[in-house]
Amino acid sequence: MGAVQFWPLAQSLVVSFHDWTLARSPVMGRWVGLDNYARVLGDGQFLGAFSFTLSLAIGSTVVSLIAGFALALLTVGEDWRLRSVRTLLLLPMVIAPVAVGTVWRMILAARIGPLNAGLDAVGLPQPNWLGDPLLAQITLTLIDAWQWTPFVMIVMAAALASLPAEVIRAARMDGASGPLILRRIVLPMVLPVLLLVAMFRLVDALMTLDIVFTTTGGGPGFSTQTLGYWIYVQGLRYFNISYAAAASWVLLAMCLATAGAFLVWRRRVMRWQDLH
Amino acid sequence: MIRALVIALALAVSLGPFVVLLLNSVRPTDAFLAPDAGFFPAQITWDHYRAVFGGDGETFRFLANSVVIAAATTILALALGAPAAYALARLRLPFRLSLIFALAFLVVRFYPKITVALPYYLIMRDLGWLDTHLAVILAHVSITVPFVVWLMLGFLEELPKEIEQSAMMDGCGAWGRFFRIILPLSAPALGAAAVLTAFTSWNEFLMASTVASDVAKTLPVRISAFITDKGTLWGNMAAMGSVIVLPVALFALLTQRYLVRGLTAGAVKG
Repeated sequence: MGAVQFWPLAQSLVVSFHDWTLARSPVMGRWVGLDNYARVLGDGQFLGAFSFTLSLAIGSTVVSLIAGFALALLTVGEDWRLRSVRTLLLLPMVIAPVAVGTVWRMILAARIGPLNAGLDAVGLPQPNWLGDPLLAQITLTLIDAWQWTPFVMIVMAAALASLPAEVIRAARMDGASGPLILRRIVLPMVLPVLLLVAMFRLVDALMTLDIVFTTTGGGPGFSTQTLGYWIYVQGLRYFNISYAAAASWVLLAMCLATAGAFLVWRRRVMRWQDLH
Repeated sequence: MIRALVIALALAVSLGPFVVLLLNSVRPTDAFLAPDAGFFPAQITWDHYRAVFGGDGETFRFLANSVVIAAATTILALALGAPAAYALARLRLPFRLSLIFALAFLVVRFYPKITVALPYYLIMRDLGWLDTHLAVILAHVSITVPFVVWLMLGFLEELPKEIEQSAMMDGCGAWGRFFRIILPLSAPALGAAAVLTAFTSWNEFLMASTVASDVAKTLPVRISAFITDKGTLWGNMAAMGSVIVLPVALFALLTQRYLVRGLTAGAVKG
């Protein structure tokens, strides 16, 4: 484990401070300090991928949190029908992200996809979902949200099921309305779990690369390159090893910072809850 | 009523894509571009499956690779992860080493695997292991062992220690307690860990595509190449997609109890 994960991790940090293009030399070149980092941060493509990755991660997390929590509220319970519904709704998250990309590419295909055929049938305009830069970015964000909404739903359904029933029953007897109970009792009680789920979603979405391969390949132009995808192409296709390593450490720092921030936030919330 | 409608809509959005995939895999090629082709194909053809599996038998090879790699990964990850979790839960190591090891396992979940993929490629190249099953299995085991450890840790902390203590009185050693008491008791957690590990390996794309170019190539790596193929073979793509998706979808329905337990264990108790 340590050898397979942490040794390469250390090695990539070392490489990121050297000059190394595998196409030119089979061994690592000279020490260049922070040069690679400076070049990466001044690279227009990196910055484009950086901002798309951020908006994809935030957009996908927000959409999947809202949709997943809503589905959890709707399907919470031990009735066999509700349990079967939850099981079926789970399916998007168990299939390979590359397959998810493939499926959605077929559905959204501009000329032969069933979605546009349906829109045509009811007389609505048929957008080129994956062919327009801005629209393709939104589409990819929604595809990612589609795949991971079940994760939010499953965890939140378990959290809702573990809430003490008496508290909610008592509030209802006191005449509190459904929305009020949700806002004042349910939400605060599941907040620690919600924060944990949000953290997992954000960090995972920052690492997105599989679905890019099978939907857009980063296009049109470079509009849907995520950081992960861009690093993959730089490192494993063009073999700019040290350049890609530096970029991958920027991404790694983003992921760990996000995870850390959420864990601190969650601890604050839990401490506050213990006091009240 | 509104609730039933929303649930029905959610089911349609979640499952619709699977239906489209299956229908496209049996839709005749010329029906894809026909302007009046309906949602359901007028005729059914098995040509795409024949095309994907026929010829040089490549797809059979990739399918076999995916199965072998997922199975080996699951067995190895459990064989390494379960004893490691037991040791972390029960051994008293100096300098809070247990906590440090546990955090090291946790941190693997939170950094991008692309950071590891580049040097992993170089290491495998230097060892001469590029494009071997072993290279893919090692990568998958290192990704999934932390999962197994954390799942088992959470479970073991809930187990009452009294049973073990009485076994210790009777002269049962650490390994004896692990095999005779802990393993049988943690069957549900092991099941959840096994299911999640198998899914992760079967679906994994990044590490597999980094080190496997042909001999050890898995199905997800193969399908990612369809986008660069000349033209797009929609039917073949759908057939290949179905081969990747159907087994896990069925497996997920069969093992949903374990799956849900594994996915929710850490987060809800956390």
